[in-house]
Amino acid sequence: MTPAPVPVRLDGVVKRYGRRTVLDHVSGEVLPGITGLVGPNGAGKSTLVRAILGLVRLAAGRVLVEGHDPAREPHVVRRLVGVVPEDECAVPGLAAVETVRYAARLCGLPAMEALRRAHEVLDWCDAGQERYRPVETLSVGMRQKVAFAAAIVHDPQLVILDEPTNGLDPIERRAMLGRLTTLAHDHGKTILLSTHVLPDVQAICDRVIVLAAGQVRLEGTLAELTRPVVPQLRLEVDAAAVDEVAARLTALGIPVTRTGGTSLQLPAQHAAGLDRVWRATREAGAVVRALEPVQERFEDVFLQALAARPQEASRAAS
Amino acid sequence: MPLHDVGYRGWQGARLGPWSAAAAIATTGIRLAWTSRWLRRAVFLAWSPALFFAASFFAFEQAIDEGRIESLQERAARGRNLDGIGLLGTILADTLGRPEQPPSRPALSREAETAATRRLVWSRLLLAFMRAPQAVLLAVVVGLVAPTLISRDLRAKAWLVYFTRPVGRVHYIAGKLAVLATIVAAVTVLPALALWMAGVLVSPSVWVIAETWDLPLKVVAASIALAIPTVLLALAYSSLTAESRIASFAWFATWAACWIAHSSLVTADLAAATAPQAAAVADAADIDDDEWRPPPQRINWLAKAAGLDTTIDRWSWVSPYHAIGVIQAWIFGVETRPQAVVPPAIALTSVSVAAALVLAWRVAAPMRA
Repeated sequence: MTPAPVPVRLDGVVKRYGRRTVLDHVSGEVLPGITGLVGPNGAGKSTLVRAILGLVRLAAGRVLVEGHDPAREPHVVRRLVGVVPEDECAVPGLAAVETVRYAARLCGLPAMEALRRAHEVLDWCDAGQERYRPVETLSVGMRQKVAFAAAIVHDPQLVILDEPTNGLDPIERRAMLGRLTTLAHDHGKTILLSTHVLPDVQAICDRVIVLAAGQVRLEGTLAELTRPVVPQLRLEVDAAAVDEVAARLTALGIPVTRTGGTSLQLPAQHAAGLDRVWRATREAGAVVRALEPVQERFEDVFLQALAARPQEASRAAS
Repeated sequence: MPLHDVGYRGWQGARLGPWSAAAAIATTGIRLAWTSRWLRRAVFLAWSPALFFAASFFAFEQAIDEGRIESLQERAARGRNLDGIGLLGTILADTLGRPEQPPSRPALSREAETAATRRLVWSRLLLAFMRAPQAVLLAVVVGLVAPTLISRDLRAKAWLVYFTRPVGRVHYIAGKLAVLATIVAAVTVLPALALWMAGVLVSPSVWVIAETWDLPLKVVAASIALAIPTVLLALAYSSLTAESRIASFAWFATWAACWIAHSSLVTADLAAATAPQAAAVADAADIDDDEWRPPPQRINWLAKAAGLDTTIDRWSWVSPYHAIGVIQAWIFGVETRPQAVVPPAIALTSVSVAAALVLAWRVAAPMRA
C-alpha cells in the first residue's frame, strides 16, 4: 500500500518577477493539521500561495499538492483546495448565499446541491442571518465569514487562508480559529494559515513556516520552535507561599528565578528530582497551580529568526 | 447557535466537469445583467420592430391569398409604390418589378412562381429586420451589458473568485460570451424566428414551412455572424479597463466613429462620381459651384438594409455595422459578389481574432501582477 501523499510539498521553488527574486529555493512541507505561514510584508507568502494554486509560473523547483503538480494539473489541484484570499473579492450584486452557491457551482457541485451546501456552511460560519443581503453591503467581518464559507463549501482537502481574522472582533476571531481547529482536527483537513497575527499562530497552529525575503527561515512544529535552548520548568503556586517555596527550593540547591507574581522558573534538568519540588511546596503550605515546561513566545522566536536581517526584524516588530 | 446549524459536514458527491463552471458563469451573469432596468427596456424595445415587420408579412400573404400578386407585380413593374405597405412595397417592387426570368429559364407554374416570390420576399424582409433595427438595437444592448462583464470583475478583484477555483481562462471567457450570446439571441434570433413563425401562421398553408425551411437556419447563421465580432470586441474593451464606463464609451465610440467614417468615404465616392456630371450641369445652367449639393439618396435605410442597393459598397469593411450587413446579405443569398463580401469578411475576421487575443491576454493579466 502506497503512503498517502503529503498535502503540500515544496521543492526548491524559485519565482522571479523580472530581476527580483520573490521565492528563493523554498522547500518544505505542509502536513495535515494547521500550518502557519508567517513572515513580514513582502516575504513572498502570497506568491507562495499562488504557486501552490498554479497561478504563477515558476523559474525553478516544483510544487506538489496531494501528489499533483499545479503547473500541469491546475484544475485537479484547485478542486482539492479552498482559498480565502487576503483581498476582498466578490461578485458585486450577489447575496451572501448566492455568492457561496456560485463558488460551489464553480467547483463543480450540481445546482441544487450547491444551494443546500451554501446554506449549510453559512449556518456553520454563523453568517446565516445575513444570507440574503448583498455581499457588498455586509460588514467587513461578515464578508470575511462569507469568504470563508465560499472557500470550504466544496469540502476541500486543503484550505488556504490569507489573514482570515482581519476585521473580526475578538469573539468572532476566536470563533473563526475554533472553526479552523474543528476542520483540521475533527475533519482531517489540512489548513495553511498565512497571517501576521502571531498569537493566532501560537493558539492553533501545529506547524509553522517562517518566510523572509523569499527564503524559509524556520520550519517545524510549534512545540519544537518555541522550546527554549536551555529547557526550563515553570512552577506556579499561590501568591502567599511563593517566597517560602522559592526559599526552600534554593535551600535544596535548585536555582530558582521569579518570573512573575506567582511563577517560579527552574532548570529542567532538575525535573528528575521533582519529588523534591513537590515536597518543598508541600512543606511551604503552597498549592501548586501549574508545573509545565517553559515555552518561548512564538513572537520572540519569529523575531529571532528574522534577526539575521535586522531591517525585517524591526519592521515585523513594529 | 443557529437553529439549522448541523455543524460542518463533508461532501462526497460527484462533481460536474469544468464546463459546468462556464454554465454557472453564464447563468449568473445573465441574472445579474437582467437586474438592469435599462436592459429590460432595451430588450423590450428590441421586439417592437418585429410587429412592423409582422404586418408586412401579413400584407404580403394577404395579397397572395386574394390573388393580387399579379397586379402587385404589374404595378411594381411600372415602378409604382404598392398599397402603402412601405417597406414591403419597396421590396416587392424590387423583387417583382425587375425582369427576373432569364430567357433560357423555363416558365414556372403559378404555384412555383408564388413559392419563389415568397422565398424572395421573406428573405429580404428577414434580412432587413436583422440589418436595420436589430443590428442597431444589438449595439445598444451589448453596450449596456458587455462593458461591465469583465471590468467589474477586475475592479472587485473577483477574478480571484474564478481562478482560485477549477475555472480556466477558456471557461471564464466562454461563460462571459454565453451571457452576451443569450442577449444577442434575445434581441435578434428569437424575434427573427418569431417573425418567420408569424409568416407561417398568416400564410394560407402550413406547407410554406417546406418552402422556407432554410430561412430559420439563415437567421441563426446571420445572428452568429453578427454576434461573434460584436461580442468579442465588446468583451475585449471590457477586459482592458476596470472602469466599465470607459469600456462603454469605447464601444459606442467605435460604432459611431466607424459609421461616420464609412458615411464620409461613401459620400466622397459619390461626390467624386457625380462631380463631373454636376459640373457640366452647373456650367450649362451657370450655377455657382458652392451651391451644388450631391443628389439625395434614392433608397431609404430600411430598403437598403433589405439589399435593394445593388452598388458594391467598397468601404463596408470600415464600419462594423456595414460589414456585418454585407455578410448577413451573403448568408441570405442577397449579395453573392466576392468583391463585395470578401473585404468585410476579412475585416470582421481580423477584428474577431484580435479581440479574442486581447481577451485571452487580459484575462490572465491579474495573475501576472
